[in-house]
Amino acid sequence: MPNKRKVELRQNKDGYSVNFTAMASPCEVLIQTQDKSIAEQVAHCVSGEVWRIEDKYSRYDKRSLCSEINNNDGKRVVIDEETYLLLNFSEQCYQISDGLFDITSGVLRQVWSFDSVSGECQHFPKAVEVNKRLNLVDWNSVKYDQHSITLPKNMELDFGGIGKEYAVDRCILLVKAITDKPILVNLGGDLAVTGPRTNNQPWHVAIEHPDCDALGQPKDMIVALNQGALATSGDSKRFLINEGLRYGHVLNAKTGWPIMHAPRSITTVAPQCIQAGILATLALLQGAQAEQFLTEQDITFWARR
Amino acid sequence: MNDVKNISKNINLKAALSVAAGALFGTSVVTALGSQAKEADEWQFESAFLVYSEKDRVSATEAIIAGSKTFDNDEVLNLKLTIDALTGASANGAIVQPLAQTFTRPSGNGQYVTPAGETPLDDTFKDTRVQINGQWTQPLSESITGSVGGHLSKEYDYLSLGVNGNLAYDFNRNNSTISMGLSYFQDTFTPEGGIPKPLSPMLIGDSSSPDWNAEFAKTRISDSEDKSTTDMLVGFTQVINRRMITAFNYSYSMVDGYLTDPFKVVSVLKADGIAQEYIYENRPGSRVKQSAFMQAKYHFDASFLNTVADVSYRYMWDDWAINSHTLDTRFTIPVGATSYIEPHIRYYQQSAADFFQPYVIDKLAHTHFVSADYRIGEMTAVTVGAKYGVLLNDGNELSFRFEYYRQMPTDSGFVDVIGLNSLHLYPVVEAVIAQVSYSF
Repeated sequence: MPNKRKVELRQNKDGYSVNFTAMASPCEVLIQTQDKSIAEQVAHCVSGEVWRIEDKYSRYDKRSLCSEINNNDGKRVVIDEETYLLLNFSEQCYQISDGLFDITSGVLRQVWSFDSVSGECQHFPKAVEVNKRLNLVDWNSVKYDQHSITLPKNMELDFGGIGKEYAVDRCILLVKAITDKPILVNLGGDLAVTGPRTNNQPWHVAIEHPDCDALGQPKDMIVALNQGALATSGDSKRFLINEGLRYGHVLNAKTGWPIMHAPRSITTVAPQCIQAGILATLALLQGAQAEQFLTEQDITFWARR
Repeated sequence: MNDVKNISKNINLKAALSVAAGALFGTSVVTALGSQAKEADEWQFESAFLVYSEKDRVSATEAIIAGSKTFDNDEVLNLKLTIDALTGASANGAIVQPLAQTFTRPSGNGQYVTPAGETPLDDTFKDTRVQINGQWTQPLSESITGSVGGHLSKEYDYLSLGVNGNLAYDFNRNNSTISMGLSYFQDTFTPEGGIPKPLSPMLIGDSSSPDWNAEFAKTRISDSEDKSTTDMLVGFTQVINRRMITAFNYSYSMVDGYLTDPFKVVSVLKADGIAQEYIYENRPGSRVKQSAFMQAKYHFDASFLNTVADVSYRYMWDDWAINSHTLDTRFTIPVGATSYIEPHIRYYQQSAADFFQPYVIDKLAHTHFVSADYRIGEMTAVTVGAKYGVLLNDGNELSFRFEYYRQMPTDSGFVDVIGLNSLHLYPVVEAVIAQVSYSF
């Protein structure tokens, strides 16, 4: 994969933009400066950090730490501090969501495979298949400490629910150390800014409508962002329809089934991208009550149904 | 099938996630709790610990914590708390003698002896100062920003209260700013032992004798004295291009009231150069100070290591005949992506107040105003140092500063009729300054 990694730097009226592909998503960085050397430093720093996180935590990459943990037959694997902190964060999300958010739920994808082109689930699983996998979803049986993790055999960790958002926040921290110029980091729609643009102007961010390719559908929404982060959960391109019912791609870690009656997508705002991402995911997991849930928690959001 | 259990409404999700994310990134929870879209409302903190130490003299330790918060409509609140502790000895104004000298403490309680050949230092300096500053800044219109602030400073024998207001007008597409400021301070000095009578001789003798208190009281005029300060400032800032910014300020300052230092004396020498007594200094009851300041900052490109040069010059003059030149230069040089080194050189030159005299001669009528305080005498002072700052992984900045200060009093044309050793008349003061700062 590394040989396909390319970073494009382009100058425009407002500064520089950086484009690259990582985590199966188009990534973009906007830097409000005309100083090319700063833009180059930022481009190098962001792309390097995102690819580093991808290489370390992707469950699709056989050489990743994530794969090493998942394929170690129940034996102990040594971890570093970053991994420990991510596990701790996952633990806290598990606790505050009362088990709805569980990074061991990745095994459910073995029965719920969404076609990458059509988005449809090719094969609607039987309850017995789902339940077999569900036995392997149990964060509580994962033992870890500051130095190592032991994952029961056949269980899997999936950092997919937080990896991209984590990368956004890491990049924001890193680029702030390079320059105080306004910067926006957008990894496939999950994004954060270092602060307002020059003269305290907000960044205008378009939130893509899930059905944006369909005719007669509402256009993108524009959100003004001065500070903090936006993350979107839900994806109209990944769904399944069974017996006339549309199921989203978010799976309930407790039942093993996709959530029904959830909005197509939810975008939330938080100081950090990882928080926005979790909020949006937890809201989707509330199904029909998603909006009510966010309103009760006094969270700024945009939902599309 | 969709057995979705609602997350307990009792959990404050935002707060819980802020704590979790704070732990993940090592960032402050305080900053993470606020902040939403359309708003920039995080508290930013800066803390510093500073040690200032003069060789053989005063040393001060200072702790500062400052916080700023930006609200919805770009209002900014700045709060700053400073605590310093001062210990050590300070020159009392008397000059070096070939004999030991005895002085009465400012409080009147007891005496201290300075050995022969040493600069007389009053070693009773011990004070703690607490200072609080608050400033509120907000846009008043598209191009006008207003700001008001308050100041309170309290030490054992000193209270200072102040208010200020500022207006700034941006024009020329925000490339130019004109600002105006006004501030007023009211200070009260309540030294232990009261305010000495100017020009009266210091009472020296047996402080345990029954007459002492009555005799000492005769050298006092009151328990406390006040002074007020009014400052006016006009400034102009101009962005020259994207690499250079310049600033020009003019300030006018009027100080009225008690400007004398109650702890300072002047040696009265006989023709043989031996001190026969010490009189309390006396300064005018008003002072008008003006200053002109100009500054340029230039951000060099990569061919000069992306250095930011900051050069400023100040000329100050007052109606005590003191005028001074300050030239201050800093270069901020990035080292790698996350740290910088900042060399600093400051040069200061000042002329003496017209009533400054290192000593006075017996039988010669001394002028109405007199002070031997080296701080208002002619001098040259140099500060050299450097700061090293590093941005930590969590985006917070840690910096270290170390500086050396050397003050060299010089002869302002004082007619030294006795012909004393100039090293004794104008002792050098050296100090080191060490500071650690952390912004989060």
